[in-house]
Amino acid sequence: MADPDFKVWQCRTCGYIYEEALGDPSEGLQPGTRWADIPDTWICPTCGTPKSDFDMIEL
Amino acid sequence: MIPQDIANTIVDPRAYADGKRIDHAFAWLRREAPLEQAQPEGFDPFWVVTRHADILQVERQNELFHNGDRATVVTNIEADTQVRAMTGGSPHLVRSLVQMDNPDHFNYRKLTQGSFLPQNLKALEVRIREIARGFVDRMAAHGDRCDFARDVAFLYPLHVIMEVIGVPEHDEPRMLKLTQELFGSQDPELNRSGSEVTDVKSGVDTIQSVVLDFMTYFNAITDDRRANPRNDITSVIANGKIDGQPLGYLEAMSYYIIAATAGHDTTSSTTAGAFWALAENPDQFAKVKADPSLIPGLIEESIRWVTPVKHFMRTATADTELAGRKIAKGDWLLLSYPSGNRDEAVFDQPFKFDITRTPNKHVAFGYGAHICLGQHLARMEMRVLWEELFKRLDSFELDGQPKNMVANFVCGPKSVPVRFKMH
Ligand code: HEM
Repeated sequence: MADPDFKVWQCRTCGYIYEEALGDPSEGLQPGTRWADIPDTWICPTCGTPKSDFDMIEL
Repeated sequence: MIPQDIANTIVDPRAYADGKRIDHAFAWLRREAPLEQAQPEGFDPFWVVTRHADILQVERQNELFHNGDRATVVTNIEADTQVRAMTGGSPHLVRSLVQMDNPDHFNYRKLTQGSFLPQNLKALEVRIREIARGFVDRMAAHGDRCDFARDVAFLYPLHVIMEVIGVPEHDEPRMLKLTQELFGSQDPELNRSGSEVTDVKSGVDTIQSVVLDFMTYFNAITDDRRANPRNDITSVIANGKIDGQPLGYLEAMSYYIIAATAGHDTTSSTTAGAFWALAENPDQFAKVKADPSLIPGLIEESIRWVTPVKHFMRTATADTELAGRKIAKGDWLLLSYPSGNRDEAVFDQPFKFDITRTPNKHVAFGYGAHICLGQHLARMEMRVLWEELFKRLDSFELDGQPKNMVANFVCGPKSVPVRFKMH
């Protein structure tokens, strides 16, 4: 069951979406990985924007 | 220094039309001189960035590698001198997002960024599907043959982007002509003079006159949208404010021009190139027809395959090092997207068209702060067209030799004759 508290984050530059529930296995982020647990040095896999330039959004 | 014949090939519009000639040149460079300086005849020297990883490195560091300091598209000395004489010293005829650096780039991009996010584009899908169906019907009305590039691929993305921008349908032929005159300025079949461009001065004058025609057209639309705002991009630009002030004339006009031009030729080329590639790979067409969930894979692979934007330039703002080479402040760099997208270090069998390629992290939309603003719109348009077309298309094959545009900046196929069966 998906945890209703899972959040969705979006890159401001290119629109890439990170859903905590799904993770991003191609980035080594397992489903359920929380945004807070992703290292601050992580960058957007599509455009290289830093993690600090993501916004939390409602899908 | 890159050998002279290869340096000349990198800027030769006919080498891009030929396809194989440009692929060979870049394959050689990736192997022998992946980051090296070139000086084609008549040009200032520039670094040629051929590897995927190096393109990402440059594009990520947008304070260290500026867009606006020198021409953003490879330009020879004579043309550059002429542009600067016309503009009073600037290397640019327009000032769009492409020519800007921060802080302006960030502020101007923010204005329209939201409209192009996938969640906000969803509202357009129903209308885009109607447009796509219309083109599928038109293709069916051709009987069993058409030129897929001219009859479908050039017109459909044009219609979509004009609707998003807010240009009325009866002005579309004019927009198509102006865009082709701009990007096809080196192609005698598309340019304004209808002949081979040998004289730099008349070439630049022609581009300038096309830009002025665009400006005259969009200026009238701006006035209208200030008086009667609508739900379109033109209204966002016409009524937008940067630091509390309306956009400058040149900046507003350039914004329309970039959206109107970048918004369809690229997608048209990719759509035409995808159809050409599917005709040459009937097994892949059979796969995607049987399983429409492969359409997103087809789209990514066709964007990689065609890579309709052949390059952009950057200028180093400080001395730095890239891939072990010393780059000096003021050096000019050409980012070769087609080369990055054939990089053997990233793509297995890069010269094979494979709609199931995963991952497919191509650089056809660029990377970093300037990454294509319209990428989600482009993908959505193509997805909807393929969904609608494949439902009705039983089979197809080439009906003659396809032809590429003669250009070294934005280009792709200009003719893809096909024979087909539809129901
Ligand atoms: C398959 C289709 C397309 C391709 C391959 C493509 C490719 C590109 C590339 C390579 C860049 C430069 C990125 C960089 O400097 O890193 C770019 C920028 C841009 N594209 Fe696209 N594009 C496509 C479709 C579109 C569409 C449909 C629009 C609609 C508005 C659009 C609007 C723009 C704009 C406004 C920029 C400038 C962004 C900036 O400098 O911040 N493009 N595109």
